[in-house]
Amino acid sequence: MSTQNPEVSNPTLERLLECLPALKDEATQAGAADLLEKLAPLLQGRRLHNIVDLLAATSDVIEMTDDAMLQKVMSLYEESIGGIWMLTNALRYASAQSAANPTPPTLWQSVKKFNQNEDARRGLDVVANILAELGRQAAIKGQDMPED
Amino acid sequence: MIKTIIVVGGGVGGTMTANNLVSKLYPEISRGKARIILISNSPWHYYKPAFMYVAFGAFYKEELRRHQASLLRPEVDFILDQVDDFEFKKSRLKMRSGDTYEYDYLVVSTGCIPSPERIEGLVEAGDHFYQHEPARKLYEKISTIEKGRIFIGVTFPKTPNVPHQCGIAPMETTLMLDEFLRKRGVRDQIEIVYTYPTISQLVRNCLFLQKDTGAVLPSIFDSKGIVHKRSFTLASVDPERKVAISEEGDEEDFDILIQTPPIRAVDAVLNSGVSQAINNEGWLPTDRYSLQLEGFENVFVMGDTVDLPISKAGGSCHNQSPVICNNIAGLMRWGKTVAEYDGKVQAIAQMGMDVGMPLWYDYEVDVIPTPPTKIGGLMRKSFNRGVYWSVARGLV
Repeated sequence: MSTQNPEVSNPTLERLLECLPALKDEATQAGAADLLEKLAPLLQGRRLHNIVDLLAATSDVIEMTDDAMLQKVMSLYEESIGGIWMLTNALRYASAQSAANPTPPTLWQSVKKFNQNEDARRGLDVVANILAELGRQAAIKGQDMPED
Repeated sequence: MIKTIIVVGGGVGGTMTANNLVSKLYPEISRGKARIILISNSPWHYYKPAFMYVAFGAFYKEELRRHQASLLRPEVDFILDQVDDFEFKKSRLKMRSGDTYEYDYLVVSTGCIPSPERIEGLVEAGDHFYQHEPARKLYEKISTIEKGRIFIGVTFPKTPNVPHQCGIAPMETTLMLDEFLRKRGVRDQIEIVYTYPTISQLVRNCLFLQKDTGAVLPSIFDSKGIVHKRSFTLASVDPERKVAISEEGDEEDFDILIQTPPIRAVDAVLNSGVSQAINNEGWLPTDRYSLQLEGFENVFVMGDTVDLPISKAGGSCHNQSPVICNNIAGLMRWGKTVAEYDGKVQAIAQMGMDVGMPLWYDYEVDVIPTPPTKIGGLMRKSFNRGVYWSVARGLV
């Protein structure tokens, strides 16, 4: 049976602090005193508890995150960023093209552009499809729902 | 007169650089004073590091590629063609289609080609994960092997102080393989042997190309029962006997041989006659600070094509791209280059299926290894599954 010095196996906080060389440094002590002064009201008012709870919750999320969850979150990220990127690109590029013309096209020239430019017609079709989809979703919301 | 800047290569380096050039030179581009062209021989952009995960059944091809054009800003003209001839002295490109393009500034980001055929017997008996089809083939093997010996080796270019593709990948896959086989319940019947060649850039007889990281590997491998062996430089493979033969005179048998293969520059770069690299590897002589092709002020080189002692990986391109964009802007606006590359590379090493280790280094300071963490693993997975595409778009 091993015999252990109880003071070594169960060091008091005071003894532990004495053993840490970094805490003997004056700058460390001054910094710790400053920090404690800032923390004191948070400790006294039990507000630091929230920060500890927040850290614990963050840690729980990290532990719970699996491959499937991460893939869904990152898919959302890419779709969002990619969508915003595409829209801002289109806006910037289209604005620059318009700005390059000293005089804007007449209404007839704009209509002619739709007729001659396949991409412009496709863009119009995309807008029409978006409106149709918004309309479909609005119609769903407006439907009478039977009771269970 | 309009200045034409051509980026050759649709990998991550070329793609982010074309996008970054639009941002940097937007005042000139919007006034019609400059235009950006990106030339690639594929309509697809592949996230190449994910091939490593394909080898473990963790990524589908459809998840690791996007339409090249969808990753480019609209100001970039995308040309689907292949450069057959770099005429650096005439500032001209000759294309497979027969077209020619003249440029004011050129960025060469054509990557490298795995070339297992450069080692006798390796095509027949070896496997690797640096391309999609070989990675699929490797997955079929490691997902069905029940017992035996998996032998892992690394081949460095013969050009002095030039690394192989993605320096940390062999170590990553060794650790992933250990975990993969444990999950399959067959690890006890399979011996994993990790080897490293005698000469790895500036270090000798080590387990990694940087000393500090190499020093921590034995304890990591020992804790997982992975056998490790220094000074095994693969010379040839005997497919009949399933034996790997080293330049040092050793013979090692295997059931699966996972070998980081020799690499070389693409044919057009090899044939340009500018490379001074030995063994017909084709690395372009690149100024380590300005990233200009030596002897050609208007040509810049990045990524795998350089002859620098820097990882052939996307983490290098990420830091080289802003330097090149700044220097092209500097030449156009002030008549001189203004930025210098410090050799910085960053990455998050996959140190098992679920843990990762963020790392960075440059010309002066090597990687300082830190304990792998689950947060590091989540960072790497997040990058794989989403952030990468923002990097390619030049957003991060």
